[in-house]
Amino acid sequence: MIHLKNIEKVYRTDTVETLALHNISLDIAKGEFLSIMGPSGCGKSTLLNIMGLLDEPSAGVVNIENETITGFSDKKLSRFRNRKIGFIFQSYHLINDLPVLDNVELPLLYRDVSGAERRRLATEALEKVGLSNRMKHYPSQLSGGQKQRVAIARAIVGRPDLILADEPTGNLDSAMGNEIMEILEQLNRNDRTTIVMVTHDEGMARRTHRLVRLFDGSLVSSNSFYND
Amino acid sequence: MLTHILKLIWKKKRSNFLMMLEIFVSFLILFAVWSLSVYTYRNYATPAGLSVERVWAVYLNFNTDNDTLRNEYREQLRQRLKSIPEVEHHSFSSSNMPFSFSSSNREFSHEGKSRICEVMFVDSDYPNVMDVPLQSGKWFTAQDTFGDTKPIVITRHFAEELFGSEEVVGKIISEDGSSKKVVGVVPYFRHKSSYQEDGNCAFQPLSNWDTDLLLKVSPDAEFEARLARSIQQIGKDWTVEIQHMDNMRSTQDNTVIIPIMILFIVCAFLVFNVGLGMFGVLFQNINRRKGEIGLRRAIGATQKQILAYFIGETVVIAGFGLALGVFFAIQLPILRVLDVAPGIYLWGIALALVSVLLIAVICAYYPSRQAAKIFPAVALHEE
Repeated sequence: MIHLKNIEKVYRTDTVETLALHNISLDIAKGEFLSIMGPSGCGKSTLLNIMGLLDEPSAGVVNIENETITGFSDKKLSRFRNRKIGFIFQSYHLINDLPVLDNVELPLLYRDVSGAERRRLATEALEKVGLSNRMKHYPSQLSGGQKQRVAIARAIVGRPDLILADEPTGNLDSAMGNEIMEILEQLNRNDRTTIVMVTHDEGMARRTHRLVRLFDGSLVSSNSFYND
Repeated sequence: MLTHILKLIWKKKRSNFLMMLEIFVSFLILFAVWSLSVYTYRNYATPAGLSVERVWAVYLNFNTDNDTLRNEYREQLRQRLKSIPEVEHHSFSSSNMPFSFSSSNREFSHEGKSRICEVMFVDSDYPNVMDVPLQSGKWFTAQDTFGDTKPIVITRHFAEELFGSEEVVGKIISEDGSSKKVVGVVPYFRHKSSYQEDGNCAFQPLSNWDTDLLLKVSPDAEFEARLARSIQQIGKDWTVEIQHMDNMRSTQDNTVIIPIMILFIVCAFLVFNVGLGMFGVLFQNINRRKGEIGLRRAIGATQKQILAYFIGETVVIAGFGLALGVFFAIQLPILRVLDVAPGIYLWGIALALVSVLLIAVICAYYPSRQAAKIFPAVALHEE
């Protein structure tokens, strides 16, 4: 599904050069649920952004679904993100001025989908995350866990093959975090959606198929939990 | 996408209200300025019906109240002018000659319909002096002045106001109990300034007290001093003042165009300030919404779609202010305010709409382009 080869990421300013990722090679199979752990600033989110085509590597090759992502135009990259990838963020990134249903519909606005079809798909996605009774609410009227479930519904509404979750339980208490984790597990199990999740929570990471650890921009270990 | 934009605008109606109000006020100001400009231009483009080229106005004071003497002086002057080769045509005139600051209005009526009209008292050679074309009929001659019914030449505008589409030559109109016979019609006679609206004007034969003089002189003639001396040789105590009519017209034109220019400058300053205000508001708005921009980019919006989205949002907000403005502006042609042709207001509305939309798009373009250039990972991180 995802093949990263010798990925380097260097941030440059006039005076300083910071190596964020160093020689990362990683293969993620279709249907895999992978977690990434590491201390703050080790490059987890940078790696996730590169997988999500939100950032470009300074060197190396990114291949997603047998397509090597090099020299893509903005239009092609945007289309790729829209069709293939769903994003979940720690701070939800919901638009507070839009009701829940409209927030979930958002990715479909950038596709050729009719209004009625958008509403149908968004309703279906909200039902999947158990929020069909909150469609007309605004994000400010929801709890943190509910907001994250809306974000998950938004990530899955376009039926992507890959979900990238950047600390999805980071802002939630353990009960709510657990709920979110269960939803992600269901998506992975039932729809065979590939999920890559950045987390600080060892317990959550152990519920995934594989855990990779980063340290100072380098991949230091990879543990499989398939047999746990 | 439009519904999506409308929902966001509605949710932020309080903050958007000020921008709508700003657009509404700008529209009304631009509507007024454009309507005035269209009105002025239309008048300017209308034929004047006269020519001031090589026309001199000679203001004369014979220093006498005696009508017989005045008639005699005029005749002496006519003879003198015939002997000056540079004078091609001449006509005595009442003091309200074209582009002077003098005016003389009379009320004329026909079959119960009355209209106010500027009346000039002139000689039979007047059309040659002022290059006045005739649309129908003829100019009056000395023979026409005998009898109780005096001849009158009127403008087409005046003829239409009194008679509609009827043929008017030979018709009788009355003025304060006396009858006038229409002998000719001139198509236009815009005598106040180059920007004057086509209006009512009439010409009647000279009366006893009209002593001012109009001359059509030969090309490049420069004999004002000689002319003044020649006139004063006839009457030593006469006062003579000679003016070139093209200068008189320029003076009159300036009284119209200078206030319009000042209005334009004030309006441009206001619009510039409105534009700066809009630019600032949009820039701040986009800075506050970096997270949203990052999200939209992440879920599949292209740079062009972000650019179009923010410009579209501004245009929709402007659209509300403009709709309100058009609602008020359209009342002017509907209610026939100020007796101006409805077409002028419609042009004013159209030009103001285009101007305000253009300002809105120009002000929205740079901040929106900045928004489109935001790198999604950076925008999401900033949030």
